[in-house]
Amino acid sequence: MKKDGESMYLQSLVEVRKIAGYRQFENGEILLEVTKIPSGFKISGEVKGVVDDIELFSFPRPDRVLANNWQSWGPTRVIGKDFVLNFPRELIQKFGFSASLMPEIYFDSLISDYFIASDSFTIGALKSNVGHVYFKIDAEHVSVHLRYFGREFDDWTVVEPIVVLNLDADVGLPYYAQLVAKENNAVFSSHNPLGWSSWYHYYLDFDYEKMVSDLEQSKELNLGYEVFQIDDAWEVDIGDWVPNEKFPSLNEMAKKIASYGYTPGIWLAPFSISETSSVYKEHKEWLVKDKDGNPIVAYENWNKKIYALDTTHPEALEWLKNLFISLKESGFNYFKIDFLFAGAIQGKRYSLLSPIEAYRNGLKTIREAVGDSFILGCGAPLLPSVGFVDGMRIGADTAPFWDVNGPDIGYPNAYYALRNVITRSFMNNVFWWNDPDCLMLRTEDTQLDDKHRELYTAISLFLDNMIIESDKLSCKIDLNLWELVKRYKKYGRRIFKVRGIMEGRYKIQSCGVNGCDEIIINDLATVDYSVNFDKPRVELIKDIEKRDDGRTFNYYSEKENKGGESK
Amino acid sequence: MMERRWNLLTGEWVMVSAFTQARPTNPTNFCPLCPGGDEFEGEYDLASFDNRFPSMKLDAPEVESIGIYKKERSNGKCEVVVYTVDHESAMSQMPTHQIEKLIQMWVDRYLDLSQNRFIKYVYIFENRGKEVGATLPHPHGQLYAFPFIPKRIEAKLQALSQYYDENRRCAVCDIVENEMKGKERIIYENDSFIALVPFYARWPYEVHVYPKRHVSTLVELTNIERYHLSKALKVVTMKYDLLFKQAFPYMMMLFQAPVNDVSYSHAFHFHIEFNPVKRDKDKIKWMASVETGTWAFINPKIPEEAAKELRNVEVEL
Repeated sequence: MKKDGESMYLQSLVEVRKIAGYRQFENGEILLEVTKIPSGFKISGEVKGVVDDIELFSFPRPDRVLANNWQSWGPTRVIGKDFVLNFPRELIQKFGFSASLMPEIYFDSLISDYFIASDSFTIGALKSNVGHVYFKIDAEHVSVHLRYFGREFDDWTVVEPIVVLNLDADVGLPYYAQLVAKENNAVFSSHNPLGWSSWYHYYLDFDYEKMVSDLEQSKELNLGYEVFQIDDAWEVDIGDWVPNEKFPSLNEMAKKIASYGYTPGIWLAPFSISETSSVYKEHKEWLVKDKDGNPIVAYENWNKKIYALDTTHPEALEWLKNLFISLKESGFNYFKIDFLFAGAIQGKRYSLLSPIEAYRNGLKTIREAVGDSFILGCGAPLLPSVGFVDGMRIGADTAPFWDVNGPDIGYPNAYYALRNVITRSFMNNVFWWNDPDCLMLRTEDTQLDDKHRELYTAISLFLDNMIIESDKLSCKIDLNLWELVKRYKKYGRRIFKVRGIMEGRYKIQSCGVNGCDEIIINDLATVDYSVNFDKPRVELIKDIEKRDDGRTFNYYSEKENKGGESK
Repeated sequence: MMERRWNLLTGEWVMVSAFTQARPTNPTNFCPLCPGGDEFEGEYDLASFDNRFPSMKLDAPEVESIGIYKKERSNGKCEVVVYTVDHESAMSQMPTHQIEKLIQMWVDRYLDLSQNRFIKYVYIFENRGKEVGATLPHPHGQLYAFPFIPKRIEAKLQALSQYYDENRRCAVCDIVENEMKGKERIIYENDSFIALVPFYARWPYEVHVYPKRHVSTLVELTNIERYHLSKALKVVTMKYDLLFKQAFPYMMMLFQAPVNDVSYSHAFHFHIEFNPVKRDKDKIKWMASVETGTWAFINPKIPEEAAKELRNVEVEL
């Protein structure tokens, strides 16, 4: 029996079975089991009592590991032993909760959230429903932690299971993702839509006239969008989700978009409440508070302090539910919900739930309100969102620039955004549809060049990600690249493999009906890459017929004979 | 009635479907798959369509378990995969290019059906000849998209994962390497595939087709590999027909990694099994009590001898 939280040190991960058994710690106890699974072990267990942070075991730190940040924008990157976290101190106040669920330890440690991988192993939590699994990386060791933020469990309660896989990052991460999806019974939209967003050209300088102009342009250019999503700019305030003076009613906006044959999409930050909003002024009791009862600033943006909605408060939840029901009733069917990390910050809430439970309460409420509409998460804690969202941003905001020397802290930057598209590619079509962030295909009003655009487009397509364009359509746009998008999407679903995650020299093979295409990225920073499209030998045209008896007939015929043999 | 029932004795699903009982048996005066038949008004090249007599449907009715007896919806898909409009053809007689098109269609069906999240396994197969229960002679196969991973697939996943864990390599990759050294069991080889009578053959003239490169699904084959597969399928089926100079009955089964589930793709190697039932020109190896009851097979033909016979059958593409 181990007492008082004494940690378990393992010489190597093959000894992981040693951690099984009973342990007591201050105010609580834990019982762990270790079972063999293919290519590794599964650690499961139960806790009782008041639980804050339990170190389950630690092991020697390899020379390099793939470390993951907890939310959409944060980096998933390989760090060596010489890596130093370089988060500008002046930004901690503004974005501390965005950087970590645990800012009190994040800025003075090296942390990997949910999973960690290396040249020889992959370890990860299978879920995050109540607690948070993280890995603390010090000079010599990696320790595995289970954090419940002081949550009290009256009865023995099942903890988040963890798998230890004897597989490197390239092989282990896709396998780990499938185990996560199975554990959570992840169900999400079977389709990842092609669309347009207003953000990356207009930013806040967007209005109804511009919206209509781009709707018109999109039809003239025959871009084939399925979704047309208006981003930040339409609302009165963060928390006051009604149209401002630049837009007509929500009904009218949605109706206009739908008249072009597109699914109307809308952006909002549902767990964020600005200091100037009426919700803040009238309902401070709906906000997450510090121990003294004062609302906690979750982050600062729009030159305002932003507070966090307490998604355990019944009235706040009712407000949240009605907000989404009303948006859906207005005609919107695609919801980009942003800055979601705010719903999971630590603090005092109406109910004594963990921050993760509170966050999931909020997501559950939104999902129930919008039914089967498409939900795209952004700025979101990753693992707790599995099962609630259809799409998920998996990197920093993109930008009309490629800055290899910029800070790697989730700030807008096409370079780091695309890096994460690769390093988190294993989540796509397993947890949700990965949103690589918007393609910017304009050739003016941007610092990105042809190679940046081609590489961003090709990687997003090869990885079968969501494809959302964000350009003012009256600008010069690389329509050849958009033709590639349209052609590729017609091929249907893809199966892809990514190799070289640990080396940083990536090879992506993407296979579908057209064969297996390949990108080799020798150096992402210098945009040194090559693309090889597999030459089709057979191109089939598919016609689908729905018969009166309900049956489907799929007819296939050859476009033209490219085969080397006579028919 | 259409439902699946849990067998408490073996831990496997049984599909119960009253629809399948109504299917025709070897009609002699018409072909439902020819133009003008029950299924097609006019000409076509290849087609895959919902079986008129399915054991699973995407919109299968809801069911409720009864006491200790567990039931689930049979929400899957049964499709008939028609290889060609030519009634008199067969895989052994089709142009290689037509088989290449068939492979492309299989790829599309696999990807298309896997978009239904409740589908866990897409199983493509062909029963050729009345000896294996084929009810129509028109060249066609079928596919079943299961909402569960069938028992024998589970057994394969488990065995291949175990081998991977013990050897840090894929078992089929190792088999390919071994067989290419000895060549004793290989009956055909090209740049991308080997066809062999496996060391562990259960049927007298059983043949497996393995890609030389590790892929877990048909989809992951490059276009040239798909072409090489079409040649391998053509050669194997031609050799079969020429062995006893008769249309050789077989079960052809494509084994790919599961979808929407843990795929074990590092350990699972895509492969095709041909399970023929003939042990001689006029003799059948039956799936009888031992094979059916215990899953233990007694193979009356030494695999190496069967391989030699098949290897010696000369075919010209």
